Amino acid sequence: MSSSSDKRFLPEGRHLLMGNIAMVEGAISAGLTFFGGYPITPSTEAIEHLAKRLPEIGGCCMQMEDELASINSVIGASLVGAKSMTATSGPGLSLMTETISMAANLEIPFVFCDVQRTGPGTGLVTEPHHNDLGLMRFSGNGEFQVIAIAPMNCQELFDLTITAFNYAETYRCPVFLMSDAYLGHLHEVVNIPPKEEILKRVIKRESPEDAPARVFSYKDRETGEYVIPKPPIMGTDYCPGLFIHLPHGPEGLPTPKPMEFMEMMIEKIKSNIDKITMVDKYKLEDAEIVIIAYGLPVRTSYRAVEIARQEGIKVGLLRLITVWPFPDELVKEVVKDAKAVIVPELNYTGIIAEQVQRVTKLTTPIIKIGKVAEFHHPDDILKVIKEVAK
Amino acid sequence: MSGIAPMFPNEKPEHPYLQQSYGGKVFGNFASLFCGGCGYGIIGQIFTRIFEDEKLDPKLHPTVIGIGCYSQIMLLVHEAAQKVLALHGRAPAVATGMKMANPKMKPIVFSGDGDCLGIGGNHFIHICRRNVDCLIMIFNNSIYAMTGGQGAPTTLYGAKSTTTPYTMFENRTDGVKLALAAGAPYVARTTVAHPRTLMKYFRKALRHKGTSVIEIITPCVTYFGRKNLSNLGEEYKGEKGEKMDTGGKMIDWIKRNSVRINQAKFMTDEELFNKYIIGEFRYEPKPEYSDEYAKIQKIAMGGK
Repeated sequence: MSSSSDKRFLPEGRHLLMGNIAMVEGAISAGLTFFGGYPITPSTEAIEHLAKRLPEIGGCCMQMEDELASINSVIGASLVGAKSMTATSGPGLSLMTETISMAANLEIPFVFCDVQRTGPGTGLVTEPHHNDLGLMRFSGNGEFQVIAIAPMNCQELFDLTITAFNYAETYRCPVFLMSDAYLGHLHEVVNIPPKEEILKRVIKRESPEDAPARVFSYKDRETGEYVIPKPPIMGTDYCPGLFIHLPHGPEGLPTPKPMEFMEMMIEKIKSNIDKITMVDKYKLEDAEIVIIAYGLPVRTSYRAVEIARQEGIKVGLLRLITVWPFPDELVKEVVKDAKAVIVPELNYTGIIAEQVQRVTKLTTPIIKIGKVAEFHHPDDILKVIKEVAK
Repeated sequence: MSGIAPMFPNEKPEHPYLQQSYGGKVFGNFASLFCGGCGYGIIGQIFTRIFEDEKLDPKLHPTVIGIGCYSQIMLLVHEAAQKVLALHGRAPAVATGMKMANPKMKPIVFSGDGDCLGIGGNHFIHICRRNVDCLIMIFNNSIYAMTGGQGAPTTLYGAKSTTTPYTMFENRTDGVKLALAAGAPYVARTTVAHPRTLMKYFRKALRHKGTSVIEIITPCVTYFGRKNLSNLGEEYKGEKGEKMDTGGKMIDWIKRNSVRINQAKFMTDEELFNKYIIGEFRYEPKPEYSDEYAKIQKIAMGGK
């Protein structure tokens, strides 16, 4: 079907896209064929757009009866070899955690777009709030490590969604894409690369030809490295007889050593942290004051750094593109000589500020700038920079 | 006849479907983890038998198993079947995802009364409403057996369980009526005391394209039978019942407490209270979800 494969990619060039739509177009480019969702503000445009787009390329977009069903249909589709994702907001994520924990156990790859809104409870449905960060990190019962990616504009929503799918295929863990109510509804110009370029980046879902018996991740006893096989596909030979979500060995059979299994769940991601972590180091070489930010506040932080530099204050910005797993070593290295660390976040608690505190062992003063349901103005950050620089 | 006595006169011939079962292949025996008198062994063996006899393609019939006592059925069912243990109540949703991602498949869902009519009731209603091609088997033992015999949505009025020590007073859910109301095109109910009928329905459901719901009444001796007397049910109130502490007694009770659908037509609601009506309730094939979605895809791709 040549026509359907042509429709998979947007024409090369500049497009004015809404954040949520840039995100799902990125997903389609990455090979998305199944979407199970339930409408929830502010992520609704994702399911609306996919309901139109996915049938065009021979995929399926289903509006399920609730969030529990949507995430379960997503893992069902992923089990039979479809690249799948869901998009929701905070209340939906709360409902889906049970299944995320199961998918983490069975190493079922899928991408989870969380268009965050102000909580708790129903909250303010059209305002941003980076409050689901902690829930993502500990989403569901049991211990497992997730990957969370925080884009800051519509272009990145397109590009990083492709990366998120690749991470899901490679590391076989829940991969979160952290959007928020403002970012999801932002209209911006997105440069769509030619389809050959996109195809080069995308990791395909294929079952290996020799179909090895070890279908789940394990620690290689000789090298001590964690081997993550390709995800098994039901309906092919490369599939264990039984997918059972209890501590299991690489063949899928229950293991008498749950501790080893738990270690594998965490360490398969942590041992690859250098490959997973994406950061942007902006004017950090001689910085005395370090700003650490992710998501939307990065945009104002860049501006604040520029203004402060013009005034001769040595400020740098560490932008976390992947927030989980938290890059302990990297942050430790960056804030080593810093006089102070400023963490502007779209929440009150300062979830990442707490992580920085943990890493610096409270030796460096950490200043949180919390905002809920509104943007940081560069002046907000600049004021703090000037106070610290005095 | 050579006149020589067989060397091991008590040795039984191997069960014809032993090698086909998952446990038989791995452990050399059925490796059943069920209590004495449980009906799940019968169901597991019937599944293996039909899977083998009908030459079902394991690649096209993924088996989605819910959470309950019957989850252990994975050791009894056919070794070639690709099995997934879903979360409690979510098996129909997982099956929907599978079917829509690969429309050639026909998932087989094992589910229980607590699983499908309790926690997963919503998913069950909506898979029936959509008419997604799959076979749902609801094992109804009228109790939450895995957690130790708590009252279920299907527990009969007047029965005792660990959470209803002074007898059950809630109204019960009827899985068949729910499936009929939700629009499932093939709905049937039978019991493990009627294995031939069960096999007939199973075969019919496999050939039918659309959601098929078969509710199977099965005994739970350990948590239901031991706590209840065989005079359970309005009709037998005057009788002096006995404890149903063996499989045989429970099978007897199930047989006595089930009414054929033809017979039930002539009975009043009072007479049918606490009874199981068995038989085929509906067989009306109608457009299937993945077929309808294929039409949508065709329109979206620019066809007619």
